Amino acid sequence: MAKESFDKEVQFLRMLVLTSGAYSRQQFAERLGISVHTFDKTLRRLKEIVGTVYQQLPETQGREFANMLRFNYYESADPMLLFLYRAKSVKESESYRLSVLIAALQQRSLTAMELLDVCCGGLPSDFPMPDEKTIRSDLRYLEEVGVVRREAGGRPYRYAIHNSLVNELTEQERIDLYAFVDVMANTQVPSVQGYLLRDSLKKAFKLQDAMEPFLYRYHYFSRILDEAHLFTLLHAIRDRRSITFLYFSPKNRQSYGSKNTNPLFERETEGKQARMLPLKVVYDHQYGRWYLLGYARHDIVKYRVEGITQIVEEEDKAEEALFAERMELLQLRTRFSWLIDTGRAVLIRARFFNPEGAKVNFIRERVELQGQWGEITETTGESFIYEITVNGTTEIKPWLRSFGSSCEVLEPLQLRREFIAEWKEIQAYYEPVRENL
Amino acid sequence: MNLFEKIFNYQLISRLEESGSYTLTSHERAWLKTMLAHPAADEAFMPETLRKLRAVLESEPTLGLSDHVVQKARSAERQVYHPLLRPLRRIIMNGSGIRLTFRLKNGGVYTGHYGFPYRLEYSMVKREWYLLWHHMRHQSFMSTRLANIVDVHEEAIAPDRSAALPAQISAQLEGRKETAIIEVVRLYNQELSRILYAFSCFEKEVDYDGDSDTYRIKLTFLGDESEYVLSKIRFLGKRVRVAEGARLQRRMLESTSKALARYAAETQ
Repeated sequence: MAKESFDKEVQFLRMLVLTSGAYSRQQFAERLGISVHTFDKTLRRLKEIVGTVYQQLPETQGREFANMLRFNYYESADPMLLFLYRAKSVKESESYRLSVLIAALQQRSLTAMELLDVCCGGLPSDFPMPDEKTIRSDLRYLEEVGVVRREAGGRPYRYAIHNSLVNELTEQERIDLYAFVDVMANTQVPSVQGYLLRDSLKKAFKLQDAMEPFLYRYHYFSRILDEAHLFTLLHAIRDRRSITFLYFSPKNRQSYGSKNTNPLFERETEGKQARMLPLKVVYDHQYGRWYLLGYARHDIVKYRVEGITQIVEEEDKAEEALFAERMELLQLRTRFSWLIDTGRAVLIRARFFNPEGAKVNFIRERVELQGQWGEITETTGESFIYEITVNGTTEIKPWLRSFGSSCEVLEPLQLRREFIAEWKEIQAYYEPVRENL
Repeated sequence: MNLFEKIFNYQLISRLEESGSYTLTSHERAWLKTMLAHPAADEAFMPETLRKLRAVLESEPTLGLSDHVVQKARSAERQVYHPLLRPLRRIIMNGSGIRLTFRLKNGGVYTGHYGFPYRLEYSMVKREWYLLWHHMRHQSFMSTRLANIVDVHEEAIAPDRSAALPAQISAQLEGRKETAIIEVVRLYNQELSRILYAFSCFEKEVDYDGDSDTYRIKLTFLGDESEYVLSKIRFLGKRVRVAEGARLQRRMLESTSKALARYAAETQ
């Protein structure tokens, strides 16, 4: 059986969350490169998952579904998009069997044969009775994902649930652990396993869906969608394997191409087939986006993870020495990247003006907090100079511009001119409203 | 490691819940082990708990990210945990009041103020924790950096007050909400994804007018957040313009005029 891919669901949810229901069904489907029928089917499936996980049935339309997923800061502590990771399909009989096995092992350790008895007794009559082979393969799976472990001792092996992490903690320790997991899942990357653990602990500690006292302001909650690819990419990097994928540049209107099995119906997609040796995954805190950097066509190549679909790992491994060489090249080329720019290094000098009459110099605080490896070289009563060597000016520019009139670009001259031109253009946007103000 | 595992399947999870059982996977343990290596762990647990957790996880692998994942343009991570986080969380969960002594921005100190703690808030931008609380005497909503708290202890509060306050506070916050409409300048529609990502940390609604091919983003934010909203708008530069929201428009006009004044010699 082909490996189940969640590309469509990831792209679907990302578009839904980012555009917050701006599109009609037709527009939405068109931009995803799927049919309206597939749109409806996907939405139905996602709703079913959300309905099961959160016990609240969403309404019928896409817009309302988007509203439900909408960022509601003070009211929801649960990361809504996490349900994506609950989408792996499992046959009903299998999910029933696994739940019976786990519930039995929660009580005490058992052998495969004992579990077979439990299972045969616990399954509704309309499910097929499992045989020993099925139970053994279930146990193998549960062992593989670390849910159960085989106890020491000879045959017949006894299996036990692997929950020692929580069983050995006192009440207060459990509270501290839950709080720690919540904080780290929200403030660090990656988060998905942390959110899953948060869910598990909630069940283990029988916590109500009560108010969670922590809030995270300016949190890019949709970033967890891109983590869907993270471990596939890391796996390829660790194994030094090249990958191929179908890439949809976020600048294109279409962000997914349905993979039709019948070539007669194959549509033209806007995606481009890409191949590379992956080297690094970069998380950009400015936008909450992920990038993949690698080596292809004699150079460093860069892709946004949100545009990557249908990843396939290649058979051959890169030679260790060759891989190290590529990695070294990447380190060298990205040494001065504000984000991922590998262009020519340039020295930027900017004057920042201290806020007038403010009790706290929040401008300086922000430059020190966000200015990466840049340095403050001169300080006077009214201002200070900040210097940084970066690859190209494109990536740092938005940050400098965000300071508005508190930042004056001194060097390079070209950047200074660009700032003047841009401020003029932006000012022109507001000229018509000047009279009304 | 595959994040799409059968064991995480929604039907399975709901069945387990019915039987009151739960699972912990090696994915989750590997993540926890990785996070326990962060300096924040020392602040989050009593030393004994930390020892216990690390011992339980000793034979587990970590996620092994450090060599392959890089984080860029991050604010320096000053603080992930704060020593007051644990006691304050407990007070909030107890529904109690607080007696607070805290430093002000100008260096002064307020001593022994009686309040009701509402939430603990971490700013992803400033990388710092704040206590959101209700000042009982002034009947006002307060936000105080944990770093500025000199002393705090739990204080009794009438149960009916404690039950009523959260709703009162959220109504107060609701009343302070503002909206603005940000329009994507059509020339930059191609960069829509980047623009929407930048605003994805706000409460927002997007409207698309197919006839004019125009996107409008309705942002909802608290009044005191408007400076941050403005910095985002300036961050995006020519790509967006404030279509509705007189205050933001006025501030943008002011900002651009002042910025141009910095380059006065060249713009004359």
